[in-house]
Amino acid sequence: MIIPTYIKKLFSIMIFLFIAVLVWWPQIAGADDAGDAKSPDLQQRKIDAAEPSDPSCIEKIKGCFFGDLRILTYGVVQKYANSSQNPHNDFIQFPHYSANLEFRPDLRLELNYLELSVKPRAKFDFQIWQEGERDGETKWRDDWYVNEWRVRLKPVDAFFVSYGRENLQWGPSFLFSPSNPFFSDNGRSNPYLEVAGMDFGRLVLIPNDSWTMSAMVNTDEGRNKGLGLEPFETTFAFKIDYMGAQNYASVILSRKDDTGALGFFGGWTVSDSFLLYTEGNFTKGKKALYPVNDVSLLRAILPNTPAINNFISLLGATLKRLYPDDSNIYPVLLFGGSYTLESAGTISLEYTYNGLGYSSEEADRFYRIRRIAARAFDFDFGGIPKLVGQYLLLQSANSGLKFLRKNYTMLQYHQSDIKKMLDLTLRWTQNWDDGSAQFLGIVSYPMGNHWELFSTGAFNAGNGETEFGAFLDYQVMLGLKFTL
Amino acid sequence: MNKQFKKRCIIALGFLFIFCLGVSVSAVDAQMSSREMLQKADEARGNAEGIQWDISMDSIERGREENRKLRVIARGYNCLVDTLTPANLKGQKLLMKDRNMWFAKPGLSKPVPISPRQKLMGNAANGDIASTNYGDDYKIIHTEDGKVKNESCVILELQAVDNRATYDRVKYWVSKERLVGLKAEFYTVSGKMFKSATFEYSNNVKVGEKRREFISKMIITSAIIKEDVTTIHYSKPVLKKVSDAAFNINTLTR
Repeated sequence: MIIPTYIKKLFSIMIFLFIAVLVWWPQIAGADDAGDAKSPDLQQRKIDAAEPSDPSCIEKIKGCFFGDLRILTYGVVQKYANSSQNPHNDFIQFPHYSANLEFRPDLRLELNYLELSVKPRAKFDFQIWQEGERDGETKWRDDWYVNEWRVRLKPVDAFFVSYGRENLQWGPSFLFSPSNPFFSDNGRSNPYLEVAGMDFGRLVLIPNDSWTMSAMVNTDEGRNKGLGLEPFETTFAFKIDYMGAQNYASVILSRKDDTGALGFFGGWTVSDSFLLYTEGNFTKGKKALYPVNDVSLLRAILPNTPAINNFISLLGATLKRLYPDDSNIYPVLLFGGSYTLESAGTISLEYTYNGLGYSSEEADRFYRIRRIAARAFDFDFGGIPKLVGQYLLLQSANSGLKFLRKNYTMLQYHQSDIKKMLDLTLRWTQNWDDGSAQFLGIVSYPMGNHWELFSTGAFNAGNGETEFGAFLDYQVMLGLKFTL
Repeated sequence: MNKQFKKRCIIALGFLFIFCLGVSVSAVDAQMSSREMLQKADEARGNAEGIQWDISMDSIERGREENRKLRVIARGYNCLVDTLTPANLKGQKLLMKDRNMWFAKPGLSKPVPISPRQKLMGNAANGDIASTNYGDDYKIIHTEDGKVKNESCVILELQAVDNRATYDRVKYWVSKERLVGLKAEFYTVSGKMFKSATFEYSNNVKVGEKRREFISKMIITSAIIKEDVTTIHYSKPVLKKVSDAAFNINTLTR
């Protein structure tokens, strides 16, 4: 039976409102604010720690519920990059302006052996286009969904079993987390946008203070639906964590689509102010799309007309999963360090070697395919080539590589509580192979105990045939966050 | 008569001797070594097996006031700090696992590793809110007698055993009668005092079959800017065995 979309939406809205009301209840019941902390009665009374007074039934239940509500409103201004990836903004169709309102309640029930959590979301946005074929268009959207939820059983203190939709992240690095076989986005480039959750089953065993073992399976892509053309594949992973006195290390063995990978990360607290860390993975073969001088498939499936033959000859290459059965091992290695200054600011430097990235020849071929695809998409060759062009642009935008090339450096400065007011992050990411770069700034300013003004900005340097210059020239976000 | 007087004098002197001996034996410091006193003072500020308490921090730094309420779970060198208020910091967490430190907050997908230099707030070091274990973290290099508000104390000069201790050198006033720390001065490696603290013990806990005073307030004053003061109120202390899972990074984000 197919359920109509509007019924699904109505159901989602009802669940969301129900949960949002539930979030308010513990907040009101347990009204606990900074003002209370100063209450002399609370602070000065003698507390008998050994024999606490028996809490009432309502207090017991209240003590098991935890709720937060965050409301974000923000505006985004962005300018598309006129590249072969997105000619005249007709392919990706970035809106120039958007205004957004998001309700993010988080609700948790914690009992001795069971923990339930749910993060429903309501998102409203208004978009305005100023470039491309949608120039002058506007659009209202609303989206109701559950970004994360989890049921976790804790039969004993050291053992957890859980299933749910989660944003499962780990590792010390800022730029990205190559050791994570599930998520390509670690959420650190814009902390105000949530990473969409995926569905996981997990077993976690903590035998002692130093070791943790986890087995996990990614059963569904959940809300993390990329634009990739490959179907979702179940991924299994086994992770072992070690935590020492001033160091830590983890190894992650994963298997997806009959291919194994070995991920790892580790860190060392060298001194009070200096940390060193590393993260990476080794994979057998390459699963991403690579440019290849082979158009036989196109010739086989497309009609044999002079215009199409001309187009295929001009194209001369396509993007293919070239090396899925390659027995070579390809590394992605990240090395980083951070130093905290006396002023409390922290400088972090990371270098990444991406063994899966394109060589110069492959990159040249890749951009050539994209140029011709863009021309085909722009009607130069008529109907069918336009569709082929669109398909190739979709492939090039989702090649399966987190980074296209091989050598990257990230330099970051972060400082919290500047003059007791401002949190600041400045980040420069350099692609050494094509010379393109990205500058990122994140600023937040608390206004009282509940409000926070924030802004993020991403500015890309590089022409349309470079990695960072392919999608956006800039994107600036300014917003206000309210926390209950 | 003269002989009898002499006899009485001897008896009186004997009594006096026995009395003095009794007084000196009853004095706690005569019964305890400095290390034992330090360990007793630790018991009033923490618990080896683990402790959970709520902490309210009021800080004045360069004229700016800041208030924060935290829930702290601590055991040995491990500590988990969960921010309860203000609302816009609620849910921020700091995990200290020996010298490894991680910071997590709602909305941030994964915890960020941070260095021990990154302090919590105001003059308070991260170690100030965790369970105190001076007995294991420091060695006593010198002792002398002193007083805090007319209360007789032993002043212990402490030197960090290794780099896991929060401070390099501490001068610690421990009450001879109550066996609690009353005052401390904290020194840099170069020997310069950078802050001082006083302690109050209005809470009480049961240790074994005995009740004893337990820390309720710590006032930290900067030695460089005297107006910079951080007051830490400790409430709802629960001494309990804390499991390893409490300090596991895999369970940090929810």
